[in-house]
Amino acid sequence: MRAWARELAIGARLARSGGRGSLTRVALTAVGVALGVALLLVAASVPRMIDGRDARDAARADAASKEARQRAGDRTLLVADANWEFRDRDLRGRLLRAEGAQAPIPPGLDRLPRPGELFVSPALATLLRSKEGALLRERLPHPIAGTIGDEGLAGPAELAFYLGSDALADAGARRIDRFGADVEPEGLDPVLQALAVVVLTALLVPVAVFIAAAVRFGGEARDRRLAALRLLGADMRMTRRIAAGEALVAALLGLLLGGLLFLLVRGLARDVTLWDLSVFPADVTPSVPLAAAVALGVPAAAVLVTLVALRGVTVEPLGLVRRAAPRRRRLWWRLALPAAGALLLLPLVGAGDAASGSGGEAQLAAGVVLVLVGIAALLPWLVEAVVRRLGGGGVAWQLATRRLQLDSGASARVVSGIAVAVAGAIALQTTFSGVEGDYVTGREASGDAVADVWLADDGGGRLGGGAERLAAALRESAGVRGALAVEQLEASHGTASEIVRVADCATLQAVVPVGRCADGDAFLLDGMTSLRPGARVRLGDAVAWTVPRDARVVDFPGTEPAQGAVRSIPDPVLATPGALAGVAVPPRTLLASVTLDETTPDAIEHVRNAVARLDPTADVFTMGDRSYRRQYATLRRALFAGAVAVLALIGASMLVGGLEQLRERRRPLAVLAAFGTPQSAIARSILWQTAIPVALGLALSVLAGAGLGAALLRMVGAPVSLDLGSIAGLTAAGAAVVLLVTAASLPALRRTMRPEGLRTE
Amino acid sequence: MSASEPLLAAQGLRKAFGQSTALDGASIAVAAGEVVAVMGPSGSGKSTLLHCLAGIVRPDEGRVSYRGRDLTACDDAALSALRRGEFGFVFQFGQLVPELSCVENVALPLRLDGASRRDAERRARTWLERLEVGELAAKTPGQISGGQGQRVAIARALATEPCVLFADEPTGALDSLNGEHVMRLLREAAHDSGAAVVLVTHEPRVAAWSDREVVVRDGRTRTTAPVAS
Repeated sequence: MRAWARELAIGARLARSGGRGSLTRVALTAVGVALGVALLLVAASVPRMIDGRDARDAARADAASKEARQRAGDRTLLVADANWEFRDRDLRGRLLRAEGAQAPIPPGLDRLPRPGELFVSPALATLLRSKEGALLRERLPHPIAGTIGDEGLAGPAELAFYLGSDALADAGARRIDRFGADVEPEGLDPVLQALAVVVLTALLVPVAVFIAAAVRFGGEARDRRLAALRLLGADMRMTRRIAAGEALVAALLGLLLGGLLFLLVRGLARDVTLWDLSVFPADVTPSVPLAAAVALGVPAAAVLVTLVALRGVTVEPLGLVRRAAPRRRRLWWRLALPAAGALLLLPLVGAGDAASGSGGEAQLAAGVVLVLVGIAALLPWLVEAVVRRLGGGGVAWQLATRRLQLDSGASARVVSGIAVAVAGAIALQTTFSGVEGDYVTGREASGDAVADVWLADDGGGRLGGGAERLAAALRESAGVRGALAVEQLEASHGTASEIVRVADCATLQAVVPVGRCADGDAFLLDGMTSLRPGARVRLGDAVAWTVPRDARVVDFPGTEPAQGAVRSIPDPVLATPGALAGVAVPPRTLLASVTLDETTPDAIEHVRNAVARLDPTADVFTMGDRSYRRQYATLRRALFAGAVAVLALIGASMLVGGLEQLRERRRPLAVLAAFGTPQSAIARSILWQTAIPVALGLALSVLAGAGLGAALLRMVGAPVSLDLGSIAGLTAAGAAVVLLVTAASLPALRRTMRPEGLRTE
Repeated sequence: MSASEPLLAAQGLRKAFGQSTALDGASIAVAAGEVVAVMGPSGSGKSTLLHCLAGIVRPDEGRVSYRGRDLTACDDAALSALRRGEFGFVFQFGQLVPELSCVENVALPLRLDGASRRDAERRARTWLERLEVGELAAKTPGQISGGQGQRVAIARALATEPCVLFADEPTGALDSLNGEHVMRLLREAAHDSGAAVVLVTHEPRVAAWSDREVVVRDGRTRTTAPVAS
């Protein structure tokens, strides 16, 4: 053990005292390891980020408790949701009305807002102050009495407010006696869970590949130094441990740099918002076991990779370093990995949300990880098998293919990182383009701009005038072409219940061609209701109503979904207000569909403002939920950027490897220059030498990624379609990396091919 | 070029690398088919002289002419073309492209000169046979000995049938027996193809294969009497 430590220490000293070349190699490795470590530490912080967010979400939860629901008291508070959207960003709003002096105060506030007072999150305060927030300011014209502290927010970029209200009543609000009711965190949607697993794998496997590649930077020059040590009497084992010591120094330095880089990234966390999520820097804290795993695992991996890499090298004392006879890569275990992954995934395909619950997520995660890791394992074999068969071509092609035939391992290992990242990205892009269809419904796809508005009547006369007033208010809003509004009641008979929609004749005729209509008429949609004229039903809890005996049964021809909720939901009973004359109508819902003029900027925001003026707790939905589409677009962009970043990272390590190879081959290249070889021929050979493994890597990853994406889509029951745009984009990015690596190698190539390389004295 | 004019000549060459002067007024002339040994101790400037003659290094001062053409006035592309078509090179070590087989190494300059792969490799095999290493055609440089490697390198240098063969310490890494064998083959092959040879060496034993010796000392040349054959 002591000998081990001594030899590692010798290696460490060699790394420090090996001159500029050695220090450069240590620096390159350290930078590579640092990038990987920083990414790993961010990934290790994800559990804390989610926990922190969930904990704050739970602490401010305001679900009504059973006891509080009973009666008002000194400790009770009425709460109503005013969750809005503003230009595709979500706003979490709450109207509050204290019922006593001891009413609970939400986290992040030092007191309750008085009626008309507003407490806002810092991000909302900034937005309201800005020019961009002028329209939102119309919706929140109240004086700002203070800001919500971090402990009351899910993240630093969250738009949130608490508004004091003296208009809240029992019927339209929840009664609570404390915040932080025991609520289970919502957790990720199973689809998103599956995607998260793919994202993490696609991100972390290339990082591991990159760290392994970084530890091997400068390997050949190091082998030459080791030969000198052999001459001094070091045996092969000692030599390997000394080499491991060198790698250890670089890895430890990388660990330190990676820690610093992580702290830098952490400091910037407040400014980053993704998928409408933002995190406080304090939440970007790696969990202790994961941080310890990174701190111990990376240096240990550095030592291990070096020892494994040196297994295939015979360092001889007379400065002669020969690669041990290369062993043919075995296919069986490389195929076994993706095959095992496929076996795990197959039972989940076509099983709907089978991935959620009862170990389904673990099975999915294991399957995806095995497929992606399998690609990384399969690629070196594939590259070796393909380049072995390559021949023909010009001088440049011949030089490149022969070089790859001599040692394709280094390129293939590095390109494995690309393959995993790209396969993961394509799988996700394919999945997103399929799943997007679930969230972005056909209504938006049809191009119609329609919004639906839902208002719950509190029975307190807040909606005096009902549907007509709502429709009138909406029609006055900027950018509204038309609005239809109905009142909606639940009618129960026996154990069944049906919906009754109440509106004037003009509105009803716009919904269904009812024909002749006068106030007092009622209509039953043929085949859609079991009610018959004269049937007795209960409206709400206890109000009795008899379906008019002259109610007419009419056909419902069906409508396009793009026409909005008022038209598209075929409610079985339609009634004019006169049909309910004399009935004490219970609290009901108002439903409106608004057709928007898309050429009017912010038409939907004007509608939201108009609705908020009537009732801030009303819900406004745009057809096809734009926010989901935007979020998917954001995620897809982020994913593409991530995959390109990984490509760039791997390209950087290919460049380092390529430059090292040029240094090593300085003499043969100088000789080639001496007998008149044009530099362009060598440059083209470098291009091919990079392009061949990258092309194979991309081909394998496109196949695997598309397959994985299709499987994920089948798992969630979505139609399978390839996202050709992202495949083309990533392939173009791969080609760009090849060109950049080649271009960046050219200055070194020019230097290498100078005649100075021929000088031996 | 007149009959009396040398094939390759250098006059008053000066070349410095930083503070170190490698050539300080060196001059030399080589006739067609002649084997000239450039001798001198380590660091005397003999390799730099060879590089200047071959158009690999541009002298700071002086003139190099090949068939009456001033090489110091040629651009890099012209010099590369000249080296590719008219000159051949053999160095001490590390000259074969490690990833190419021996036959591919020999065929390389032919292919660069425009020959098809098939034709280049056919001619390369002929040269390998002539240099008595035909059986090594499919092996890579890592799989053969130093002496065999030098013979492959000579085959490569002669494959384009150059007018001048530049050999820089071609036997420096070989034992005496192998060195003799390589020199005999080099001399015979050059003679058969009519190529002039500029042979840089510090070993009199190797220089003995030349027609004439030029001694370089402190960057200056001194011609000695023709070597008795």
